[in-house]
Amino acid sequence: MIKFITKRILIAIPTLLIIVAFSFFMMRIAPGGPFTNERALPPEIENNIKAAYNLDKPVYEQFYIYIKNLTKGDFGPSFKYKDFSVKELILNGLPVSVTLGLSSIIISLFIGSLLGIIAAINRNTIFDYSVMGVSLLGICVPSFVMAPLLSLFFSLYLGILPTSGWNNGNIMNLILPITALSLPQIAVISRMMRASTIEILNSNFIRTAKSKGLNSSYIIRKHVIRASILPIIEYLAPASAGLMTGSIIIEQIFGLPGIGRYFVVGALQRDYTLVSGVLILYASLLIFLILITDIIRAILDPRVKI
Amino acid sequence: MPLTQKNIKNNNLLLDIHDLNVFFNTPEGISHVVKDVNFNIKKGTCLGVVGESGSGKTQTFFSITGLLANNGYAEGEAFFKNTNLITCSNEERRGFLGKSIGFIFQDPMTSLTPHLKIGDQLAEIAIYHKKINKKKALERAIEVMDIVKLPSNRDIINSYPHELSGGMKQRIMIAISLMCEPDLIIADEPTTALDVTTQAEILNIFNDLKNNLNIGLVLISHNIGVIAETSNEVLVMKDGEILENGETSKVLTKPENKYTQHLLSCIPPWIGN
Repeated sequence: MIKFITKRILIAIPTLLIIVAFSFFMMRIAPGGPFTNERALPPEIENNIKAAYNLDKPVYEQFYIYIKNLTKGDFGPSFKYKDFSVKELILNGLPVSVTLGLSSIIISLFIGSLLGIIAAINRNTIFDYSVMGVSLLGICVPSFVMAPLLSLFFSLYLGILPTSGWNNGNIMNLILPITALSLPQIAVISRMMRASTIEILNSNFIRTAKSKGLNSSYIIRKHVIRASILPIIEYLAPASAGLMTGSIIIEQIFGLPGIGRYFVVGALQRDYTLVSGVLILYASLLIFLILITDIIRAILDPRVKI
Repeated sequence: MPLTQKNIKNNNLLLDIHDLNVFFNTPEGISHVVKDVNFNIKKGTCLGVVGESGSGKTQTFFSITGLLANNGYAEGEAFFKNTNLITCSNEERRGFLGKSIGFIFQDPMTSLTPHLKIGDQLAEIAIYHKKINKKKALERAIEVMDIVKLPSNRDIINSYPHELSGGMKQRIMIAISLMCEPDLIIADEPTTALDVTTQAEILNIFNDLKNNLNIGLVLISHNIGVIAETSNEVLVMKDGEILENGETSKVLTKPENKYTQHLLSCIPPWIGN
């Protein structure tokens, strides 16, 4: 187990390095720069600014400096948010984004699997059809459509939930963004769970369990769920990636101070260090989640050896 | 001439089946796969059921044990301990399944739950039906592992199905069916997926069960050699009907039905006689 985890962390380092290099050079290729303004600055001032941020040096040297600083845990200064380092910005936004993402993933995993299992057991009944119908809607309607609709209904018409804001993580402020973020994932997970549960219910070992005279709730608990949840566990990493990109939009709509907005604003304003920093964070989160996924899978399925 | 044994009433009778019919609802209409079947099974004997694929031999026994696919249903009588297994409630049938009726399936490779330890899969059936604790159930598991000639050490109890060979898995399946001391064991092609040496060992276990434990045994197979070796009576099925029913030695040496004769003529000469 420890050997496996060390190996995976060692593999993650070159992966991250490639991602860093990719984002670094992509940003440099994009036309314009952080200090390109409509009104041209006097050349002396521009040169001074560029020198301060090492932008006057050749690109490969800039990259070398950036990597060298990264190894010291220094993500560099933000080009646009003056007096802030990228690290400070990320650490400010991280609690918001993590709260959103983590609760969404737990909620959608729980509700999605539950709906999927019940739909599979009551296959071809009204419940099954309605869950599958609504989930199709959930997949088709993007979260940036769902989010304004939700806040229109619950905040403006009913007036029971606030439209936006973080408010130090007040639960009332979190309900709408988490719902908007979770709905598409609940839809996907419930459909996957239904399909895999139906497959397991038709398998030979469930027939054996039935021939033992066990009652169906026991069979579902002991024999079905652990086998049918495996595809969902594998979907967890791509789902988290979906939640990360989803949260960029959701954070904008609900005015939440997460890191999603730094990513978008940073990319538009050529804030090189900020974009790279957020990207490194996203990539490491994803690599970490895939590792967790593999460990959970090995725990659930004894045939998987790690 | 099909032997109707309706009138033979003795205490040895274990399962008594009258006019059993099995149907399946298909998109093309109702498919009638088992047609007015009559037979019975006695304690301590082995009934061999032969027939080609699709002859309804498996579905006959699935209908008795409530294992038919969702679109299937059965009509008729199948008396087991004064209960009609066809018409009784699911709860009632479940009370017999696993406890008094054991079922062994064709494919041992996929018939055990992959994520549960062998010990748990053996123990759960006794815990469920006999309401005993896990420790006692595991002791019983060691006992039945002895009967099926598995080395009764803790290694197998703590291993997962994928760590065992096909023959071992089939022994575990037999052991599971023995956990609650059943009166009847239905074995659906138990040796088809196994190699010949393992097959012979499994058949030996069946012979022991029948002779020593006085268990009624149903052996469904398309392999006449297997039937000849183990069963006392034989049932020849084709297209959902019983063509011939009688003592194994009689049916296999002097078959009356054309199809049985044809079936026997299919055995290569260096095996049959």
